[in-house]
Order: sequence, then C-alpha cells, then structure tokens
Amino acid sequence: MANLLNEDIHKQLSEIFHELEKPVVLLFFSDKKELCDNCEQTIQLLKEVASTTDKIIIKQSSLEEDAKTAEKYLIDKTPAIAVCVQDGDSLIDHGIRFYGVPSGMEFETFIQTILMVSKGEQGLEKETIAFLKDLKEPVHLQVFVTPT
Amino acid sequence: MLAFQMAMVSDKVNAEMVQAREFPELSDQFHVHGVPHTNINHGAGEVLGSVPAADLIQEIAKVLKK
Repeated sequence: MANLLNEDIHKQLSEIFHELEKPVVLLFFSDKKELCDNCEQTIQLLKEVASTTDKIIIKQSSLEEDAKTAEKYLIDKTPAIAVCVQDGDSLIDHGIRFYGVPSGMEFETFIQTILMVSKGEQGLEKETIAFLKDLKEPVHLQVFVTPT
Repeated sequence: MLAFQMAMVSDKVNAEMVQAREFPELSDQFHVHGVPHTNINHGAGEVLGSVPAADLIQEIAKVLKK
C-alpha cells in the first residue's frame, strides 16, 4: 500500500512531536488476526505516525486472539485505538478511544490527543475542571464524526 | 477534542470518537444525522454540533440528574 501521509505531513509531525514528553502507547485492536480494510488502513496510519518519533509505541492485538485485553480496555468494536500514556512502569488509561480510521478532519484531533496525553496538559478552564473533578457517576461521551 | 480533554481530567469520564460511516448501525441507533454528534451515557442525552465546554457540561449535568 502507498503511504497514507505525504512527505510534508511526515516532516510536520516529526517537528511537532519534539514536544512529546511521556511515551504514548497506542493499543490497536482489530476484530480478527486477519485485518479488514479499515483495520489495515488504521494500523498503517498508526505506523506512519509512529515512524516520525521514538515516543509513540504501538501494541497490536485482536479481539479474536486477546479477548481479555479487549475486555479490560472495554473495546466493543473495531478498528479501535486506546490512547494511553506510559508513566514510569505503569500504563495510564484516561479512557480515550478512537473507533474507525482517524483520518480526514479527525487526524488532527488524533495528533492533538497524543500531544495532550503525553504532555499531561488538557487546557480546560477552571470551572470546567471543577465540574469534572466533582463527578460522582460515570459519564460516557461518544462523539460521532465523518472524515470530511 | 473537548470530550477527550474531559476524559483526561476525570477518571469518571470516558470518551470515544466514532467514524459514523464505518459504524452505520450505531449511528442509526442514536439517530446521527449531522456531525459532530455527541451522545452522552448511551442515549440519555445528546449535543449536536461543536459546542463550548459550558454547554456540554450543562447537558451532562442534566443527564446525571435524571
């Protein structure tokens, strides 16, 4: 398959990824070991993104082969990416998931999310943070998007 | 992005981005006609379009009060 990202984007990514601090671990899940088209495209995109820095690690598994891990990360559809951050010996999961190929408009969100978890800065206002810190019950946000 | 920022702040918040075209059944289930469409707690609430944090918080608060 040809590259999904052109040379310019590769260059831009390697520049902005200089800002990365903690290593980011992308847990990729496909349905079966044999990849569907969208899974194939997603893992290729992840590999291209990861090739621009040594701070992004990809761990690939499938629901078929590793149901336990999928369950642990509450993966219920594929292709799925759990964006986690390595903090010393522990892998921190903020509950951030991408389902489907993070391409088009969502590519930027994907890159910004990697930067955010790595730097540990979320940039929200004080009032918003106070509300979130005060939550007692689980909140599940599911954002539907389209690539264009 | 807002949903992910919120997930990062609070352990109680999980956020997922779903490519609507790749998951048509799920999109139909929650009547997704335009994007972005934010579904809160599996259909208990929803926000259409890109909104400021204050608006999303208001809708979350409404859902939790139910």
